[in-house]
Parts: sequence; structure tokens; C-alpha cells
Amino acid sequence: MDVILAAVGDAFTWQALLAIVIGTWAGIIIGGLPGLGSVVGLTIFLPFTFGMDVITSMALLIGVYCGSVYGGSITAILINTPGTPQSAATVFDGYPMTQQGRVDEALGWATFASFFGGVLSCVLLIFCAPQLAKFAVNFGSIEVFALVCLAMLCIVGISRGSLLKGLVCGMMGFFFSMVGSDPITGADRFTFGTYALSSGLDLIPVVVGAFALSEVFVRFSARDEEATTIPEARLRFPSLREIGRRLVELLRGSFIGSFVGALPGTGAAAAAFISYAAAQKLSPRRANLGKGEPDGIIASESSNNAVTGSAFIPTLALGIPGDVVTAMMMGAMVIHGITPGVRLMADQAQTVYTLFVVLIIVNVAMLILSKPSIGLFRYLFKLPLGFVMGGIVMFSFIGAVSVRGNPLDLVVAALTGILAYVLRRSGYPLAPLVIGMVLGPALESSLRRGLLISRGDFLSFFTHSGIATTLFVLIGLFLIWTIVGGVIEWRAKVIRTRREASSAQPASEQGIMHDHH
Amino acid sequence: MKSLRYSLATLALIGTTHAAVAADNLEIIVPFAAGGATDIVARSFEPTFSQQLGVTSVVRNVAGASATVGTAEVANSEGNPNIIGYEPAGALTIQPSLKKLPYGPDSFTYICRTVSNPMFLMVSKASDITSFKQLVEESRDQPFLYGSSGPGTLPHLAMAATVVNSDLKAEHIPYSGSGPAMNALAGNEIQIMADTETILENYDLRPLAVFADHRVEGYDDVPTVEELGLPALDFAVWQGVVAPKGISDERARQYAEACKATVESDKFQSFADKAKAGIAYLGPDDFKAFVQKRFEANKQVLKDAGLAP
Repeated sequence: MDVILAAVGDAFTWQALLAIVIGTWAGIIIGGLPGLGSVVGLTIFLPFTFGMDVITSMALLIGVYCGSVYGGSITAILINTPGTPQSAATVFDGYPMTQQGRVDEALGWATFASFFGGVLSCVLLIFCAPQLAKFAVNFGSIEVFALVCLAMLCIVGISRGSLLKGLVCGMMGFFFSMVGSDPITGADRFTFGTYALSSGLDLIPVVVGAFALSEVFVRFSARDEEATTIPEARLRFPSLREIGRRLVELLRGSFIGSFVGALPGTGAAAAAFISYAAAQKLSPRRANLGKGEPDGIIASESSNNAVTGSAFIPTLALGIPGDVVTAMMMGAMVIHGITPGVRLMADQAQTVYTLFVVLIIVNVAMLILSKPSIGLFRYLFKLPLGFVMGGIVMFSFIGAVSVRGNPLDLVVAALTGILAYVLRRSGYPLAPLVIGMVLGPALESSLRRGLLISRGDFLSFFTHSGIATTLFVLIGLFLIWTIVGGVIEWRAKVIRTRREASSAQPASEQGIMHDHH
Repeated sequence: MKSLRYSLATLALIGTTHAAVAADNLEIIVPFAAGGATDIVARSFEPTFSQQLGVTSVVRNVAGASATVGTAEVANSEGNPNIIGYEPAGALTIQPSLKKLPYGPDSFTYICRTVSNPMFLMVSKASDITSFKQLVEESRDQPFLYGSSGPGTLPHLAMAATVVNSDLKAEHIPYSGSGPAMNALAGNEIQIMADTETILENYDLRPLAVFADHRVEGYDDVPTVEELGLPALDFAVWQGVVAPKGISDERARQYAEACKATVESDKFQSFADKAKAGIAYLGPDDFKAFVQKRFEANKQVLKDAGLAP
């Protein structure tokens, strides 16, 4: 108890609080600008932390991280362009709500769900970090493979227009992720003999091209139409009654995010897709998902912000960073003489608890700062459309190139933008492309590693462990559910058409002719 | 027409600022993403180094393709006196033998080696294996799996060399970094891993051997691989500074002096102490000979293990 009190004291110094406010606010803005995401934000702020003490510097970085994960949802909702890949799933329902004139409601849910997910994962972090870490260790390559397969199923759900088109885009993303070094042998593949391609296609340039640049192209090709004006950004928090009605959704998203975040090598974007897939099956309002249903925003935003807390679980409990972002945080800790690892909890309990307190304050700060940040975006988007779009193009390219400093990424962003524009005009959904790109590398390397471990025996995957078996059974159930549901829907449709046809028959023969078209 | 004129004017302005800055700005290329293990050392090396040279310097992270993209950028800047690379071992002495790259070990002006940490052969503390001999014995029934931070990395090479040169039966499973590999080791997906003291200290691991020519201070009861009857295998994770070819001898000497002073400075030493980076300075000629020697040795390991022609 003394440790926790001392930790609270450490966290409530003016330096730490100032760092939290600056970090969170900057994080929200950086996350909101398409192309600039968590990694770029942390890269910008990392050098500043060298001169600070450890708590202040971690407060700044945690603020930037959490803020940027939330900030990505603002542009996702307002202009159909996720500011960060983590918010790609927020677009599915966020933008339709904007088109229906429910901007304030969408932003309110995104903000509240982010806050809820963030806080819940902090609580889990405080009370069950060691247990969750131990569980995560049992999540080997084969279990990760099963989990990723499960997540891949959400491609089916979001390909509303045509399943085939969704799968085409998903596979495209999957193959994009294969360019570069083979994860197992290290050999170059799909590089067409050019050295430039051997570093592979990075996620950020592809996301920037697929969402931000294609959106700019679409808006310019239809700039005289009413729909291209950006609605005024407003924020309305959901009332207690509304929250109560969707509490199950909030909890489910937060728990999925907390759990996925604790696994090494998955990350917030994957968590959001998995959570969205779960909502598609389990939400009582699932019929409306993808057409502007707050449950979709909740699924995405509560889970991706829950990752921010739980990603620290493997980092703090085992010293194993879960993704690039926590790897950078770990680097910052090492600079200040804190070495994450199995002994950190025992040796530096006070520092660890201070980080927990900081995480909670950051989430509260995020809730408070959401209003002024959205106000800033409202001001920005009031500028003439040309300036806004020009700014988006500029930040997209800055973001694309600053991830790795590789000029190839600019070309990739531009080409993906053009490709994505063509795909959108032909009615192909773009989200599966990003899902393929996010989950593809994890799917491939976990499958191939699993095959190495089981010495080439794929059937033994199903009985490898209790966790693996459970996950594969879930996949089976998902598939059966989808197929049976499809058959029932199809039969209902056939019966309905027949009934309509038979009732229309006496009136006119042409009705039937029309149906056959 | 007006917009065209503006764009041209802007382009001209951008061009001049670049030229003006480049005159006294030193670019330090780190071929890994910001925040990684190499980047952290490079960033604490940079302030003292640029102070010694009397220039402003910028650390630029050019990541990708096992650090070869950034390294290639340094090699391709032939004659440019304002660019250097802070390089890891793999990009200089392993990757050139693995794939076709726009550079080789002869493409650089070698400045200095800064830090070096010997690697250990380790198993989980949860396992009951306490010696290398026991490890070899137990691998006879069922081959072990060893992890690495990726194909063609030092942990991979060290273990591949051990397997080739001993009776140990083990197969390779690559991960996307030391972290995920440690997770796999904790979950008993893999059983063996070769890595540095930092990893050894941070996780519950038991060292069985050290890949060095002498026992390491603080680990006096850990035998060297040579003592275990293997050939003298020398694997260490080191970093060093290189400049492109074609810079003046004067400039190369300035770099070398600044590097020596930086490595000896209190600031860098206290950082190295905290980050458990073992300072191991080598001057330009020694470093060049060292890289050449490691390059040949690694090439042989890759050939023996069937990883390179």
C-alpha cells in the first residue's frame, strides 16, 4: 500500500502532469493527421526525453502513445481516413454516421470507448499483469496462427457488397506484405531483382495511400457534389442510459483489446479487427454494423485503446515488447537505467506502479483534451477544401517517409493511392486490403514457424494445446454459423420473392419478368 | 502560369536551404528504427562525437532489409565528408555474404569500433540442463529447437556454427527479434538461444558456454566453447562507425580522433555502463582488419551450414 501511495505521489508532480498534458494533446493531433501515427509521434518526442527524469519522460511518451491511438479515430470519422492504422476499423461505422449527420454522436462514442478501454486495461494491468503475462507465454506460434485465422474471418463480415471483391482485396494486402525478406529463410522474394524492394512494403505507406490519398482523389473527382463538404466536428458524450445499453459492447471490446495487447507481436490494429469481427457475431444490433452503428465504433476504439495499457504487460512483466511502440518505450526506459525484465516488478515496484498511475491519468487527460482537440480539427477543416486536402497529401507523405526514412515508401504510398482510387471506383472495399497487410505477416510467419515446430505435420496444430484446440473450434463454429446464417437468409429471400411473385402474378406478368433480371 | 511560377520559386528555395545546411551538418545514419538497441547507443554517442568534431549532427534512421538499406546509403555516398554510419555487426559482416548488395566490406572507410558484447549459449532456467555436455546428450533422442532474432542474424550464426562443429542436434526457428524469441523460450517452444549478457540478465536464463576466446568477467564458471572441445568460435554483438570511401585522409583522421575521445568520455562510459554495452574501442586499422576477419569467418559458417553458396 505504501508503494502505491508513494507511486501516486511520484506521478502527481508538476513535471509529470505537464508532460502528460503536452504528450497527450500532441499525441491526439499527431494521431489525427493521416500518415502520422504512434511511431512517428514517439520518434519526434523520444530525443526530448533524454534530459528528463524517468517518470517525466515515460509520462510524455505514454501520453503521446495513448493520445495518438485515440486521435486516429477523429479523422476516421470526419473524413473517412483513419489517422493511424489502429483506427482503420473505426471507419466502417464512423464515416457512415457522419454521412447521416451524426458526427457528434460518433465522436462522442469514439472518445468514450477509447477512455473506457484505456482505463479498463490499466485496471487489468494493475491486478493481473503477472497472470496475464504467464498466459501470454503459453501463446506460441501455433496459437497465434489460430488467433490470426480467427481475425481474418472479419474480412467476410466487412465485405458487404460482394464477398468475392472483399477476398480479392484481402489477398492483395496479404501479397503486398510478402514482398521483401522471407521471414524464415531471409532470402529476398517478389523483389523482381531490384534492391530497392528488398526492404519490403511497410504498413504505413500502404495505409496512407489506401485511405488518405484515395480519399483525396475521390473528393477531387467529385468536388462539386454536396457530399464532399466536411461536416462541422462536434462532440456529444453518450448519456449514462446509452452507456448502460451498450455496456456489454464496451466490456467485450476492452477485454479483447486487453488480451490481444498482452500477446507479443500482434498490436492495436489487429486487436481492433478481432474485436470488430466479434461484434459482427455477438452484438444485438449486428444487422446495422457497417451502416453507421455505434457498436462498430465501440468495438474498434475500446479495443485499440485497451491495447495501450495491456501492451505494457509483457514489457513490464517479462521485458518482452509486444510491438514497435512498446519496443521504443522499452528503449527509453533502458536509457534511464530501468531494464525491463522478469525482475523489474520486484526490484523497482515503485516505478512500475507510478507508470500504472500515469497511464490512468493519461486516459483521463485524453477525455478532457478531446474537446479542445476536436475543436482544433473543426477549425482546420473549415478551411477551403483545397487547403485541407493539400495538407492531408503533405502529411501523408511526411508520415510515409518518416517511418523508415526510405524513399521507396513515397512511391509505394503514391501508387497505392492510385490503385486504391481505381478499386474504390469499381466498388472494391479497401479495408480487407489493410487487414491482409496487418495480419498477413503474422499469419505467414506463425504458420511456417508452427510447421517447423511440429516438423511439417499440420494436423497436429489442432491438438497442439488446449488453447489452440479451443481457437480452432471457435473458427469452425464461426464458419458454420456464417454458412447456416447465409442459407437461412437465402431461403427466406427465396420464399419472400416467391410469395411476392405469386401475389403479383395476377396483376401483371411483367413483375415476374422483372424479377428474372 | 502563376502557380507554376510559385512552385518553381519554392523548389529553388528548398534547393538552397538544403545546400546551405549540408555544408556543416553531419548526418549519422542508423540503419535501424528509432528506439532500438543500436539506435539508443548511437544517440548517446552522437552528442559527444559532434561536439568533438565541432559540427551539428543529425541522427537519421534508415531502417529495413536487415539494416542493409541504411548501410547501402552510406556506401553509396562515396566522397561525401558529411555522412557516417553507426553500424551493427550483421550489416557489415553477414549480409554481404547472404545476398546481392550494393556494397561489400571494401566499400567503407573504417573509423572505429565502439562497443562489443560476447554472446552466450543459453537455456531456460526452468529446464534441468546444466551443462553443454548434457545438452548434447539429451538432443540425441529428440533434436532441440533453437531460436534467433531472425534469419542471418548473429544468434542464428552462432548456433548454426555450434551445430555444425559439435554433436548437438538442433534446428533453427527464426523470430522477429530477441523479444518474441524470449517469449518462445519461456513457453518452451524453443529450448536454446544464443545472445548477449543483456538478454541473459533480463530473463530467467542459464548460460552454458560463451562464444569468446576467454572466460568473461562475472561469469567465471561459464566455459568458452573452445574448452568444450569445439573450435574457437568467436561471436560478439558489436557496433562501429564507418564513413563512405573517397573521403580525405584528414577527414578520416578527424573522425577517428573524435570517436576515440567520445568512447573515452565519462558521459558515454556511464551510459554504456547503464545499458550494459561493453566498451571495446578499436582504431581505424584494427577495426578494418577485424571486420575483414569476421566477414571471412562468418562466410565460412554460412557455407558450412548451407545458408550461402
